[in-house]
Amino acid sequence: MAEALLRVEGLHAGYEGQNVLNDITFDVPKGSLITLLGPNGHGKTTLLRCISGLLRPTKGTITFDGERIDGMEAEKIVSRGVVMIPQGDMLFPEMSVYDNLRMGAYLKKANAEFEQNVEEIYTLLPRLKERTSQMARTLSGGERRMLAIGRGLLSGGEILMLDEPSLGLAPIVIDQIYEIIKDLKKQGRTLLLVEENASRIIDLAEQIHLVDTGTIVWHGGGKELESNPQVLETYLGG
Amino acid sequence: MDFFVQIIVSGLTFSAMYALAAVGLVLVWGAFNMLNMAHGIIMTLGAYFALLWAEFFGLPLIFAAPFAMLCGGLVGAMVYFVSAHWMIKQRNFETTIIIATFGLGMAMEAGLLKLLTELFHSSPYAQPLSMGAKSFIVATVPVSYQRLIIWGAALFLILILAAFLKRTTFGRAIRAVAQDSDAARLMGVRVRNVYIAVLALASALAGVSGIMLSSVKDVHPLMGGALMLKAFIVIVLAGLGNLTGALYAALLIGMVEATVKVLIADQYGFTAILILVILALIWKPAGIFGRSTVARQ
Repeated sequence: MAEALLRVEGLHAGYEGQNVLNDITFDVPKGSLITLLGPNGHGKTTLLRCISGLLRPTKGTITFDGERIDGMEAEKIVSRGVVMIPQGDMLFPEMSVYDNLRMGAYLKKANAEFEQNVEEIYTLLPRLKERTSQMARTLSGGERRMLAIGRGLLSGGEILMLDEPSLGLAPIVIDQIYEIIKDLKKQGRTLLLVEENASRIIDLAEQIHLVDTGTIVWHGGGKELESNPQVLETYLGG
Repeated sequence: MDFFVQIIVSGLTFSAMYALAAVGLVLVWGAFNMLNMAHGIIMTLGAYFALLWAEFFGLPLIFAAPFAMLCGGLVGAMVYFVSAHWMIKQRNFETTIIIATFGLGMAMEAGLLKLLTELFHSSPYAQPLSMGAKSFIVATVPVSYQRLIIWGAALFLILILAAFLKRTTFGRAIRAVAQDSDAARLMGVRVRNVYIAVLALASALAGVSGIMLSSVKDVHPLMGGALMLKAFIVIVLAGLGNLTGALYAALLIGMVEATVKVLIADQYGFTAILILVILALIWKPAGIFGRSTVARQ
């Protein structure tokens, strides 16, 4: 496997003295798609919040491209190339689709390449072009998710972290979202995907880390998970 | 007809001053839920900075307002570092910052009085940027050129501000922080810099409001308090954090005040505004243009 672009080692974190993550360790090699799989409320989002700098870990290290990023401000981490597409999208509701996309390219380098890159985003996500002057708050759930993905892609990050991209969407929209993820994988992008639905990622991810009560309880490839009914039954309800 | 012209002229003048004063408060509230109670003294300081530039230093009048804006901006940034910087991560920031800036405003006001008493005198000065009584006649009502300047300056600054917020990268970042500061951080926005810049920008505008007010009255150390109170009423009537709403509310309040002052008596102007606000808040508790709840994210 390629050298790790992102490395999380012995990470502990929580809220107001309550520990949520316990001794989390995993690598994300460059150009790979790694998945954090597990039921809701078991720390996956907290883990992404730590990596992106929205939450400070209480112990452990996070290294990106050889540089320690744990304890850095979120705005500095994103400037290093770690981009998060959060659960619930976190769009700017009172801004147009175009302005939301522009915010994705806020950093200097991305801003300089915006006009060129936004056309690529419109090709990848044509619905956004149709809605370009529409306020983000007026979009449907699927469109919002596409906007969040487009905005994340425009930041020009080296690693894209997607937090439950299928959450709350209709099956047909989930299919579209996963087509986009497959495209990104084909392009060689490094992706860290958080998901609770095993069937969606079994064929897609190089490596799956099963997160349960804030700990990685199992890891392996998609085929290994598929052939391990005990793990599926115990942690994912079959 | 004369009454009508008088109401329009006075109403637009009040509205212009209230709008400019309120816009600053709205910007700061919108960006990080801070009600800056030192806004009034910053308006006062704006008038004194212009006075200092033109009267005491004898420098060209044309640069007095930009100088006052610059100094106002620096005072705004200072307000951030003295107060908000230490409290912004606290749970009750919205409440504690009101108390902190109220105290800071009082200290600044006392400091200004002390300085003026010792160095000069604290009684009113004439604002050198005022054109005085020079006027032209509409119907039979004299309209001073100073009022035209106030309307033009307020309109110009508000349009510039709107273009800045709408069209520039940093303006967009300010709007982004106001809507979701965590999301803005994930885009690479240095949120703290936005807070400082917003306070500086609001204070620069407050400086101009102070010049406007002193150009139709006088420069004196307590002049900003009443204007700040009216600006607060404007933003409460509009709904906290609503920029466009604040402009409409400023127009409404300015016109109501002028109507009552012209048709009834001067002293009932403020009473009329308060009655209007009470009725409006009974009708819509979150303000005319406000959302049903106001909560810090």
